[in-house]
Amino acid sequence: MKIVGKKRLAALFAGACVMCASLGIASTAAYDSNVDITVGDSTGGREITMVGSVQPSVLSVTMPSYIPFNISKAIANQNKVLSPRITVANNSAIPVSVYVKSTQVNIDALPGTSWVTRSTVADNEIAIGMKNETQENTAPTNLNQTQWLESGEQNISLVNLGPNGAGYLYVVGTLGTAVPENQSFSIVPTMIVKPTIE
Amino acid sequence: MAVQTAGTASAGSAVRKRVILAVAAAILAAGIGTSLYHMLSEPSGGLELEDNATVGILPGVDLDQRLGQLQNMLDESMIAFSINTNPVFGSGGAEGNLMIENPGQNAKLLVAELYLDGENEPIYKSKAIRPGTYIEKVKLDKRLEKGVYEVTAYLKAYREDTQEYIGQTGASIMLTVQA
Repeated sequence: MKIVGKKRLAALFAGACVMCASLGIASTAAYDSNVDITVGDSTGGREITMVGSVQPSVLSVTMPSYIPFNISKAIANQNKVLSPRITVANNSAIPVSVYVKSTQVNIDALPGTSWVTRSTVADNEIAIGMKNETQENTAPTNLNQTQWLESGEQNISLVNLGPNGAGYLYVVGTLGTAVPENQSFSIVPTMIVKPTIE
Repeated sequence: MAVQTAGTASAGSAVRKRVILAVAAAILAAGIGTSLYHMLSEPSGGLELEDNATVGILPGVDLDQRLGQLQNMLDESMIAFSINTNPVFGSGGAEGNLMIENPGQNAKLLVAELYLDGENEPIYKSKAIRPGTYIEKVKLDKRLEKGVYEVTAYLKAYREDTQEYIGQTGASIMLTVQA
């Protein structure tokens, strides 16, 4: 029994040595196959295929899809618009820019009224734009640095947002004395966000 | 009886005095009321007060109240979304990783539409995406040649209960077709 046991032990030991040797050779071979490669070598080096993948850049934002506002000659400022505070939030790690891509203007309910893009208006003119918040939680009273909304396609940059940043905007505008009040009209800007090129 | 009669005569006198006092008080009150009416109703040369007036602030003139209503409307219109800014399509007819998400807090349906910049026909239009769901891969409705395209993805928001259109926002993305 003892002799048989020693033989088995010897056989097991020999087998283990063979396995260890095999693994060592294999690992050495694998190591060598990487070390000897020169990427882009034109003097006889081996070619390899480099496989890369572009990771998707997912942006996440929160923006308004509809912006309600009122405009009235009774408001005793240069800015005659009563606007809510418009928050645009970047919930991703990508810096983004927010801009107006287009604006649908329908002032058919204001007969004789013209749409303009300036702060000084004639009696029959109306102008609406957007403006960044300059004082926290305070709507603008003047029209300095207003980004005026044009009817149709346009690309006006409103605000740049860093990673996980937020920006605040207001609708602003003015109207002439002859523009009829108590009428509804629609100004529909489409706000678009895009990654900021750094 | 005499006591009773005297007693009766005495009570009748007291009643007369009370009646006289009451009439005098009524005349005095009427006089004061008339004077007050004229003082209030003719403050500046005979103008009459309008009967058809409602006490309070005219709706729409209270700017703070109106601003609160506008803010509520704006808050209701806010939509959150996620999208891959560099979707890649293996070929014009293959699926690509657009990765559009309608987060659960939106409580609105979203429909995604993709347009090549400068064109009016969509190259992709999703069905309504429920809040709390996302679409990882899509196949374009229009086959594009190999290339890199500037695309605007519009996200149109609809009320979940009535499916009434609310408004839209979007993102500018670069779409790649590899072959």
